[in-house]
Amino acid sequence: MPAAADLLPALVGLGHELRVDGLAVGTGQLIAFSRAVGLLDPSDSDDVYWAARASLVSRHEDLDAFERAFRRWAGRAGGIAMKVTGELPRLPMTAPREPAGAVRRRLEPAVDADRGQVASSADVLRHKRFVDCTPGELAALAELMARLRLRVPDRRVRRTAPSSKGRYPDLRRTVRRAMRSQGEVLDQSWRARLRRPRRVVLLLDVSGSMAGYSRALLQFAHTAARHGRVPTEVFCFGTRLTRVTVALRHRRPDEALARAAETVVDWEGGTRIGDSIRTFVREWGRRGMARGAVVVVCSDGLERGEPAALAAEMAKLARLAHRIVWVNPLKGDPRYLPLAGGMSAALPFVDIFLAGHDLASLEALAALLPELI
Amino acid sequence: MSRPSSPVELAAALSGQAYLADRGLSTAMFLALSLQRPLLLEGEAGVGKTEAAKALAAAFGVDLIRLQCYEGIDAGQALYEWDYARQLLHIRALSERAAADDRAVEELFGPQFLVERPLLKALRAGDHAVLLIDEIDRADDEFEAFLLEVLSDFQVTVPEIGTIKADVPPAVVVTSNRTRELHDALKRRCLYHWIDYPTPEREIEIVRLRAPEVDGQLAAKVAAAVGRLRGLDMAKPPGVAETIDWAHALNALGATALDETTATDTLGAVVKDHDDMALVMEHLAEVVGNA
Repeated sequence: MPAAADLLPALVGLGHELRVDGLAVGTGQLIAFSRAVGLLDPSDSDDVYWAARASLVSRHEDLDAFERAFRRWAGRAGGIAMKVTGELPRLPMTAPREPAGAVRRRLEPAVDADRGQVASSADVLRHKRFVDCTPGELAALAELMARLRLRVPDRRVRRTAPSSKGRYPDLRRTVRRAMRSQGEVLDQSWRARLRRPRRVVLLLDVSGSMAGYSRALLQFAHTAARHGRVPTEVFCFGTRLTRVTVALRHRRPDEALARAAETVVDWEGGTRIGDSIRTFVREWGRRGMARGAVVVVCSDGLERGEPAALAAEMAKLARLAHRIVWVNPLKGDPRYLPLAGGMSAALPFVDIFLAGHDLASLEALAALLPELI
Repeated sequence: MSRPSSPVELAAALSGQAYLADRGLSTAMFLALSLQRPLLLEGEAGVGKTEAAKALAAAFGVDLIRLQCYEGIDAGQALYEWDYARQLLHIRALSERAAADDRAVEELFGPQFLVERPLLKALRAGDHAVLLIDEIDRADDEFEAFLLEVLSDFQVTVPEIGTIKADVPPAVVVTSNRTRELHDALKRRCLYHWIDYPTPEREIEIVRLRAPEVDGQLAAKVAAAVGRLRGLDMAKPPGVAETIDWAHALNALGATALDETTATDTLGAVVKDHDDMALVMEHLAEVVGNA
């Protein structure tokens, strides 16, 4: 068996290649990878492929990026000389992506006008529709929004903790205390079930008709996901659904938003709300993410698909979720009536229907969530 | 447990237990055994994640120690617990004689009062066991953090007894259904493998191996039909377990061929969702290969 040490620079090169594609590869993982290659046949491309995949990837969503990086690396002269013994597993088809830079530029608030030019006071800004805000005002709004804290109703979980008001006997502590009195059980100890906040799932419509609101809603999602003790999941959808929870984890809002935008392939395209909710229920909701959760859909309800299909998907979602909140920026207009096909089809399954066109309405949403018992 | 010397040898040992592992899975398992790291298995329901651990234990003639995770599981249920009822009885018996005797009290926390739970059992068994931590995503964050601690050093400290350490760590297989994201720290401890649906040819092999009494041609038809079902955009696509069940069900009814009648009678073995059932009934002729 050839010593893996000679190959080390090449193997570490794969780690760099993966990092280019946004995969977090730790040194520990690279060490495991090189040891793994040492145990196998480094001249066999299949062996190297599987060794790399087992040690450098740790979630299913990353497999696509891994395939791309591995191919680049294996095809380069800098890689190890491998004889290709078998077919490498076929690369899953992925939709062509818009160059990341283009989306990033569109999302960035062009704060050319300096902050001093933001004429509106905080209070005026609070009631200004997002779509009417200048980039400078949006940046000012972001600062106000960062102070927003999301709270949600609790649910009782199966984990217990010592409590004098509990209903479950705590044998461990009872025995401990009995020992102080020569084994005589003088008083019993109890445990009670703990309470934890429910999960919040945000489904954000980023299609063309929502373009004026997408940035503000993503900003809201970033604040919600980063602060507080509420477990939050965030998805964007237009014609297809993308999970952006991981991308939004970055501390700096601008960077987090840019990363989220890069993962979304159908930014400012059409809307297929029914299909997107269906994908959510199938891929994530049924497995547990939506169970007992508060699901917040942010969309104008302008559905290109069949309204009946949307209603069917909303019914399934309603059976899983604790409560469904629909935030619709159009509702900010007092003349708005939810008559459009998609919106009226979804409405019977919505517990709370709110506007989401300005900061004040998002604050109202944050204030309302804890009441959703 | 004698460690296999190559992925091929491991795959052969597993197939001796009627488990067919492909190149990726056998390599990942081989590496996990050789590097003494836990193996995290993910994949759709019914692709054989739990079976993989069972087959691994059986192939090497060691015990399978299974820790089924659930919401609210804690160290007491996973690691060890004292037998409180017996302890209390023991104290009562003591107090009449020599309650002040320190040694008698110490005995209360001796091995005879310790109830071993799966993790402790696995640490004591060392490499004479395969530890299966099933559906870890059902447990909560706190439990995951605790598990990370155990899986990092393969040792635990019971305050009353001392530290218990596995000289050679047991083989560990962790499965997850991805209902929530696991912590990066835990994932980094593990090697990872995603089990995909098998190729049609392999699925036929699996059915023939797991349901040997089923006619070979019927097995091939069932595997092909399940392949078409997976293409139907179902909410719950059938896994390999369902393919095997279906073959068993058809065989139990004495069916020798898969047609629309026999399929309708036995569809409950593969389709487990009301909406899916309606969808499949619409395309039944196509599914059984008559279209």
